[in-house]
Amino acid sequence: MLVGAILYLLPTPSGLTLEGYRIIIIVITAFMMIITEPIPLPGVAIYILVMEVVLGIGSPEEISKSFMNDAVFFIMGSLMLAVAIVQQGWDKRIALGIIRLTGNKTKNIVFGFTAISAIMSSFIGEHTVAAIMLPIAMTLIKFTSEDGEKVHGLSAVLLFSIAYGCLIGSIGTPSGGGRNVIIMSYLQDINISISYLNWMILVYPLVLILIPIVSWILVKSFSPEYDRLDTGVRKLVVQVAKSPELTGRNTLAVFIFFLVFLGWVFLSETLGLGIIALAGVLMYLIAGFVKWEDISRNTHWGVIILFGSTISLGANIKGTGAAFWLANKVIYVFGSLMEMFPFFTDTIIVIMTTTMANVLSSSATVAVLGPITMNMGTDSLHLGMVTALASAFGFFTVVAAPACTIIYSSGLVTAKEFLKAGWRVGITCIVLLITYTNTYWMVFK
Amino acid sequence: MKILIAIGSKEFSKPTLRTGLKVAKAFRASTTIVDVGEKIGKFNAKIIGLAHERMESWEFDRPGVDVLEWAFQYLADNKFIEPNTIEAGFPKNTLVETGSNRAEVYLKGTVCKDVNLILRNGDIISELRDEVHTGRYDVTIIGGSQKRRMAHDLIQYIDSSIFIVNQLISAQTYRILLAVDDSSGTKKAIKYGARVAQAFDIGVDILTVSKNETFRDGYRNAAERAAKFMRRAGIDCKNMYKVGDPATVIKEESGNDHIIVMGASTRNPLAKFFKGSKPLKVMEECKCPILIVK
Repeated sequence: MLVGAILYLLPTPSGLTLEGYRIIIIVITAFMMIITEPIPLPGVAIYILVMEVVLGIGSPEEISKSFMNDAVFFIMGSLMLAVAIVQQGWDKRIALGIIRLTGNKTKNIVFGFTAISAIMSSFIGEHTVAAIMLPIAMTLIKFTSEDGEKVHGLSAVLLFSIAYGCLIGSIGTPSGGGRNVIIMSYLQDINISISYLNWMILVYPLVLILIPIVSWILVKSFSPEYDRLDTGVRKLVVQVAKSPELTGRNTLAVFIFFLVFLGWVFLSETLGLGIIALAGVLMYLIAGFVKWEDISRNTHWGVIILFGSTISLGANIKGTGAAFWLANKVIYVFGSLMEMFPFFTDTIIVIMTTTMANVLSSSATVAVLGPITMNMGTDSLHLGMVTALASAFGFFTVVAAPACTIIYSSGLVTAKEFLKAGWRVGITCIVLLITYTNTYWMVFK
Repeated sequence: MKILIAIGSKEFSKPTLRTGLKVAKAFRASTTIVDVGEKIGKFNAKIIGLAHERMESWEFDRPGVDVLEWAFQYLADNKFIEPNTIEAGFPKNTLVETGSNRAEVYLKGTVCKDVNLILRNGDIISELRDEVHTGRYDVTIIGGSQKRRMAHDLIQYIDSSIFIVNQLISAQTYRILLAVDDSSGTKKAIKYGARVAQAFDIGVDILTVSKNETFRDGYRNAAERAAKFMRRAGIDCKNMYKVGDPATVIKEESGNDHIIVMGASTRNPLAKFFKGSKPLKVMEECKCPILIVK
């Protein structure tokens, strides 16, 4: 509050509108609150909305409209779908599927966990996949050795293969994460449209390149104690065999999700990704697969409000001209390097986005940075997508991404280990992303 | 009387649990043992709950259940709970969710009134504050922390008396160092000091510290009242009058063989924030167990 008051009293920087300066003050103070948490997160969301009106950024009508769009619906729908899907008990079947594909060799199993997590999180959402995959990995670890100290390397490699697999997979399709949908909605605002399939064509090859590389880095980083997991795999198969067979209802649950997927692929440009996700929730409710009480209990409404408010911030950063002013400042500092090296703009965006996403949240980062980065060059589609993809690289901290937080909550990995593996995977992904976007994407231009 | 014992791990919480239960037994208090798990990003709190539900379907306990199970075993080994409860084993299945970050299980106590085991997740100070506020506990018993901030927050925000166990060594013979003055908190501190002395079967040194040579009447009256209270309760006691800075004198006199008992500061929160307080200084400087009575 003190920082905000001091900034408020300072003169408006030249070239920036008064409203633009005030929205930057709100962004700085809100982000400080998100990091230090002096008040609950939904309180920060309310602070943003109240200050936007009080400081004259927009009328109450305009601010409330900027608060809600398809991306907020998507985040809401995605969190609700997670509740419905996680309850279906698909994990036992997935466990069997991975083992059948990979066999007993540890490095193959790590590859299998990374690949399945990546592929599933491209469509279902990383938080759902991590919640489903975590107990499978924990069971395999427990069946290999009851003594956690003897299998610490194995625990780390399997759990990180889930988290990092989820992160790299989440860039593959628009439905992989709220951040992708936020960028799509920003692009739509400037009449640039990208379909679900086009996004996949542009990005999925990178996911497929990253899967084996990340799993290799993880095996090298954590050196699992066992080369083969014969006992663990055998016991896991026995345990899964004891679980009930798939019923017609289980198949129907999969079919409903398949319909949602088809909707995203073919109807998202007209219906929006968020509405289709909510339609999926509606179908699960009608079919009785999930109770509203469970959805309500397990959905973090405060976070949805917070994402809504950061999207409102993003819209107003753009609307007040602050995004353009900030982008010009970056260009002013790095302009000559940007001209000399065409990939330098991407590098700046990737470093800025990855750093912020590791401290804050990926969706909040994209919501606020997106309008700025999209003004840092002429190709808004390219710049916006680079921002969305880089925001998924939350490899370094526990809080960066839901998948990281979920594996950390198991108590089997430490915060230090996120840095141990994260810097290797992070740098590799950053280098590959910049190379990829400046080569493969050029073909499409 | 309601007592809250905060534990954190099997490795380091044994002295806290042992001391807490000893005090609870003396007061025949209704006792709650709480384990506050690590704070994990609030953005993902609900989805973590969902992941833990899946873990339970694969017969994994959520993190922290093992600490409660260890506490149950300690209660069973020391016969703090009824034999049929011990026989039934740790009632994992009756660990009831009573909030987004809170689960609890009830046990029938023997020497204490009842014993509840609670599992919480989040920031330790805010979770303890919430627990104390909703459960209306009289005393919170917790292990020591090296962090100055933690000591400050405990005194500032926890709305009950606080017993910081620090390095309480079971083989060591302790005495109570009861710091008295003319503040409103002294009266309650005398009562608590007597009960703890009875619980541990130890004597009490009543310490009155004045910043100058002349001791105010209020100080002398408080010391005499404390001595009278102790004698009536059959507790061995002696009065000590010292001159100097209260926190420094308390530190010197406490050494390593005293349990300090003193009243909480009556300063307002803003003054405490900028100027500090006697209990806070004592907490920062002394390594022995401290009971701050509110």
